[in-house]
Amino acid sequence: MPKSIRGRLALLVLASITLVWTIALGWSYLQATREVADWDDARLVQLAQFIVLLDQNDLSVLSRTRIDGRTEYAHRPGHANDSDGDKLPREALFQIRDANGRVLASSVQLVSLGAFEAPAEAITGARLITLGGRPWHSYVLHDSASGRTVRVLESTNIRSDLATGVARRIAKPIALALPLLALLVWISIGHSLAPLQALSKAIRTRDASKLDPIEIGPTPIEVSPLVDAINQLLSRLRLSINHERAFTADAAHELKTPLAAIKVQAQVALVAQDVAQQQLAMQRVVQGVDRSAHLAEQLLLLARLDEHHTIPVQPVALGALAQDAIAAIEPDAQRKGMSITLVGDASSEVIAEPVLMDILLDNLIDNAIKYGDAGGRVEVSIRRDAHAVMLTLADDGPGVAAQDIARLTDRFFRVRGNGASGSGLGLSIVARIAECFGARLDFGTGIRGRGLAVHVSFPAAAVAAVQIASSTAI
Amino acid sequence: MRILLVEDDDLIGSGVEAGLHHAGFAVDWTQDGRTAQLALETTDYALVVLDLGLPRMSGTELLKWLRGCGKDVPVLILTAKGTVADRVGGLEAGADDYLGKPFDLTELIARCRALLRRSQGRSVEILRYRALAVDPASQTVLRDDVRVPLTAREWAVLLQLLTHQGIPQSRSRLEESLYGWHEEVESNAIEVHISNLRKKLGADLIKTVRGIGYVVERT
Repeated sequence: MPKSIRGRLALLVLASITLVWTIALGWSYLQATREVADWDDARLVQLAQFIVLLDQNDLSVLSRTRIDGRTEYAHRPGHANDSDGDKLPREALFQIRDANGRVLASSVQLVSLGAFEAPAEAITGARLITLGGRPWHSYVLHDSASGRTVRVLESTNIRSDLATGVARRIAKPIALALPLLALLVWISIGHSLAPLQALSKAIRTRDASKLDPIEIGPTPIEVSPLVDAINQLLSRLRLSINHERAFTADAAHELKTPLAAIKVQAQVALVAQDVAQQQLAMQRVVQGVDRSAHLAEQLLLLARLDEHHTIPVQPVALGALAQDAIAAIEPDAQRKGMSITLVGDASSEVIAEPVLMDILLDNLIDNAIKYGDAGGRVEVSIRRDAHAVMLTLADDGPGVAAQDIARLTDRFFRVRGNGASGSGLGLSIVARIAECFGARLDFGTGIRGRGLAVHVSFPAAAVAAVQIASSTAI
Repeated sequence: MRILLVEDDDLIGSGVEAGLHHAGFAVDWTQDGRTAQLALETTDYALVVLDLGLPRMSGTELLKWLRGCGKDVPVLILTAKGTVADRVGGLEAGADDYLGKPFDLTELIARCRALLRRSQGRSVEILRYRALAVDPASQTVLRDDVRVPLTAREWAVLLQLLTHQGIPQSRSRLEESLYGWHEEVESNAIEVHISNLRKKLGADLIKTVRGIGYVVERT
């Protein structure tokens, strides 16, 4: 089968037409052959009826002459131009007997064929017999008035020229029409496939940055689902590119703030007259650089998480990781006079990746310290039931207003007026990591009705294996 | 010259405050819109340097409120959003100038001076008064083309009086132009500065208006 739809369709259409035509031709040929045979029989009957009426003299003349079916019928009026008649001689023989079975006259050839003494059939009718190795039409006529019995034989023309002529007459226009038909089929299929070509041209000549829907005018119902599907894909691409652009713009904007701070502080350091002021400004330059570096790190981390690589997972002891994270942030907590405690089932394991889990814990604990009140408390708790392992970070700080809760995981969203300078990416990263391991992120009220609680519920190890396998299979 | 700086970012705010202070301005720094609103209600500022992304009340809102109550103090906007639409939006809300982050501290100071000059109805930077030529950018005063050294405080008092010629300035008004929020006001300081200025620049430059304060007569 050819790979092009056009070639394939043309081939199928032409093959079907040829098949139907061949069947029609065969059937017509059979029909024609049958008609010719009927005609031959009718001719034989006529001959017999003619001979039975002849007298003795005419019979003796006739017995010495050859009777050729062709001459007799080819020159009949109305058939004079019938050029499709048989080309071979059609010899007719006869034998006539009286009522006593005595032979009155007979064609001489009958003797040589050894059929002279053939017994006369009792009944009138036509049949096909073999004489001298050749097939003959035989017809016996019994005339009850004269008591005579006439037997007429006519050699059968095996190659029935008449039938072949009919067949040729039908086949010739078909054979001539086939190439023309092939051309017409080829052109019309090509024409019907024009929308596909228009579509491929529209896609081929399209600028890579152009993502508006493809318009190729009226499309047939077979092509429009394809155009629709492509347009849907384009619109999804457009959305995701717009999202990326917005993110890049936001990221650039976010990077400008620490850069502005660095520049201003550096310039202050340049013009400062006393050493103390200069040193203060330089310390602030370093702070600004740290802040930009942190932002860049967070951005890179998000970009890496967005690459959708399959993350290799393993059982991770949540309690041990939490202890490490708490130990790392302890100095910051002490500086603010805050206490951090770890409670609950520290032996719980979740199916995750340890480095990402570290980042998740660091971000959550760091947030709790950064935004909690000085002298406040932070509680890290790990609880386990049959279906899930829940990690909760709760503080007794100022909390987050209800209208801001939904926006907490938005990139670059910061709760205004909390005095702390974050990248606005911490909780986006936490949400993204939680998503990687099939965990759910919720927010609630913190310790004793105050502050914020962040709940991350991981599916229990047995459940997780199945969930992660099915999510990576998509 | 007292400037109100409204900037929520610690590092930028402290830097700009230090820079403006160094350039001879008294600076009040607030980190949110509401406090800035309060400060504007109670104090007469020569200029406002305003960040747009502020907690509690956005810079744009503050600007609209400011213009809504008819205050025509010059406002310079600082913002990290650098699109034309942002700039146009800020200017249409009533800002006089615009600076995108990250900006150059010297440019910020130059623009502040230009805004102040324009608000005082001058188009050239050098202030001339009789035999004096005063250059706020370099903080220099020439008397008959001879440079007269002044302290930062003396300089600020002179500038306040010269930019309000014919309008008597009370002692507290002069103090306001000298000290930011976090600075201690010394008693008798204004009298000391005035007497020093008279010694350095001529006894007839600054007139005392009994019961009110001091004035530099309109030429």
